[in-house]
Amino acid sequence: MTEPEEIDRHQRQTLILGAASLVGVILVVIGTMLVAPMLNRFGFLHFPLGFYLAAQGLLIAIVVAAFLFVKHQDRLDLRREEGEETP
Amino acid sequence: MIRPTHLRIPNPHLGAYYGIITSAFVSLTIMLALFEQLGAARLWLAYGMLVLPLAIYVAIAAAAQTLDIEDYFASGRRVPPVFNGFVLATVATGGTGYFAYTGTTFLLGFDALAIGLAWAVGLFAATVLFMPFLRKSGAYTLPSFLGHRFRSRTVRIMASVLLVPPTAMLLVAELKAASVVAALFLPFSEGVALITIAVVIAAIALFGGMRSVTWSSSAGFIIGAIGIAVPLIIVAVLVTNLPAPQLTYGETFPSLQNLESILGLGPAQPMPFGEALPVAQPSPSAKPFLQAFGLVGPIDMVALFLCLVLGTASLPSLLTRSGVTPTTSDQRRSGGWAVLFVSLFAMTAPALAAFAKILMLQDLAQPGASAPGWLAQLNATGLGFVRDANGDGAIGGSELFVARDAIALVLPMAANLPFVCTLLMAAGGMGVAIAAASNHLFTIGGSVAEDIIRIVNRSGALPRLTIAWVTIGAVGIAACVFLMFADIDLLRAAIAAFAFAGATFFPVLVLAIWWRRCTQFGAMVAMGTGFAVMVLDAFFGGLSGSGPLQAPIAALIGASLSAAAGVAGSLFGPGLQSAEESYFEDLRDPAGEAIYDRAQRRITAPSS
Repeated sequence: MTEPEEIDRHQRQTLILGAASLVGVILVVIGTMLVAPMLNRFGFLHFPLGFYLAAQGLLIAIVVAAFLFVKHQDRLDLRREEGEETP
Repeated sequence: MIRPTHLRIPNPHLGAYYGIITSAFVSLTIMLALFEQLGAARLWLAYGMLVLPLAIYVAIAAAAQTLDIEDYFASGRRVPPVFNGFVLATVATGGTGYFAYTGTTFLLGFDALAIGLAWAVGLFAATVLFMPFLRKSGAYTLPSFLGHRFRSRTVRIMASVLLVPPTAMLLVAELKAASVVAALFLPFSEGVALITIAVVIAAIALFGGMRSVTWSSSAGFIIGAIGIAVPLIIVAVLVTNLPAPQLTYGETFPSLQNLESILGLGPAQPMPFGEALPVAQPSPSAKPFLQAFGLVGPIDMVALFLCLVLGTASLPSLLTRSGVTPTTSDQRRSGGWAVLFVSLFAMTAPALAAFAKILMLQDLAQPGASAPGWLAQLNATGLGFVRDANGDGAIGGSELFVARDAIALVLPMAANLPFVCTLLMAAGGMGVAIAAASNHLFTIGGSVAEDIIRIVNRSGALPRLTIAWVTIGAVGIAACVFLMFADIDLLRAAIAAFAFAGATFFPVLVLAIWWRRCTQFGAMVAMGTGFAVMVLDAFFGGLSGSGPLQAPIAALIGASLSAAAGVAGSLFGPGLQSAEESYFEDLRDPAGEAIYDRAQRRITAPSS
């Protein structure tokens, strides 16, 4: 693959990965906050589910999303470097 | 072909150094706890627990002293991701989070959780959108990145001027948090405590700039983490028999709901955001802990969440730290660590609030019992009281008035823990507040020196570091003088600062990093529009909660208008320069040396 194509592909994939991770996390957090009163009917680890998700569950999900993002973006960057290295 | 990367090796002994600092602090705590059991005076315990850590922070800063420009402004680009994560998390939450967020969670319960979630998502957004690219740029300050990106001194100066209001608000909030705690336990007036804390913060920022701020703040983070974790774990063991407060406080909810019901804390109705947000003065808990959207309605909660996400993601004090790690990948990783550490704190705060509430309500609900000891201590310090408003001879849940920012300190008292545990909580909060304040101080002082004075006065008569020392000292004095004459509410000041930062910088940074077509004219109108909306909101009382538009909503409107103005200004204003495009291309390449370092090397190469 030629260098400009590799760069374009890297930028496109970076944009998709970043936008998908961020928009996904924000929508999940807002959606969960809004339906928390309904989720509170269910229990989880002695917590009402809606409260648990807002106080802990979503935070755990955000941490997982952040480290997954870091791992995938590193992989994309490495692929671009290898592509640029190959003549 | 892979471009050569400038390898920067972190100090391999950092783990040992911070292991020693942690051990020293733990030993100090144990020693003071022993002295307390032997009958030592509380005043001497307070000196030991609050003043010795100050000496540790200053000693670390002095050991990290430097006259090297790259060390002073970017910590030599050798900070490992975990340590940068420590400092990022500390700056995002600060003493404001430590004291005001825990208290807000105590008073609002579920309705306050948007704040903790917003810190985590905001740091994640900064990790995705900005930090790695700012690391590639290598600019020492946020305004200098914008100046380089748009090849414009005007953009750089404008960004530096607009950076001052939000960062200064956070600086004075952190200074106040630390000095109030110091004045509470030590025999000094608040003014003397303020000057002492300001001198410590200024010393940390002056000795070695970003380098000393980084290493001192890392110690602040560790002491903050120990300070909140140890008393809370002890309380969790006492109440639930398990040393995992975040996992076990749910067990207390049936008792908590029962107590709230006995003490007459019925469901509340949503209020306007400005009224729902608790004030710093002692106020009653007006809703059950678990009730969702009791005082803060769903729209206000989502607006607060989004406003704080934008503000955290584009907070200048956080983004100024984007040049300190060895590579772009490390910078991204440090963002991941920061999300983890902030999330741990955000999970801990509701546990602390729930334990504090159940312990306090248990004491109030005991019929015929004498006034609990913690209430006498609160009365003595002016941090809380009870008032039998309905004259029924009993104290109801809404008749207990507690200062919002004192809840973290009340928990060890309410659990009848030794006084050292209260001091430990206070030392942790002070450590975090001092760490955050030194970052804010360096951000303002460094930016004014680099982006205004050095740009306006290009004769180069004064050495670069001398300008930075003078501006950092001047900003420290100005913050001190401001706090001597004005009072601020930590929570409201922090929300206003995040709102200003989000409306002013978030749109322009997204456009600068993610849109090739963005021009310097677009950047200027974007920043100007967002800032103008917030100034208008402040003028009409939105920041204090009395205006027609609350700060979070105003920030979202400001950010939307700012983005629209930036796009329109770029499309219809003066055209794009080729230099702006080539900088953009360089910025988007994750490999290779920082753009700024490469330019510096080219400048200095012929003379060497």
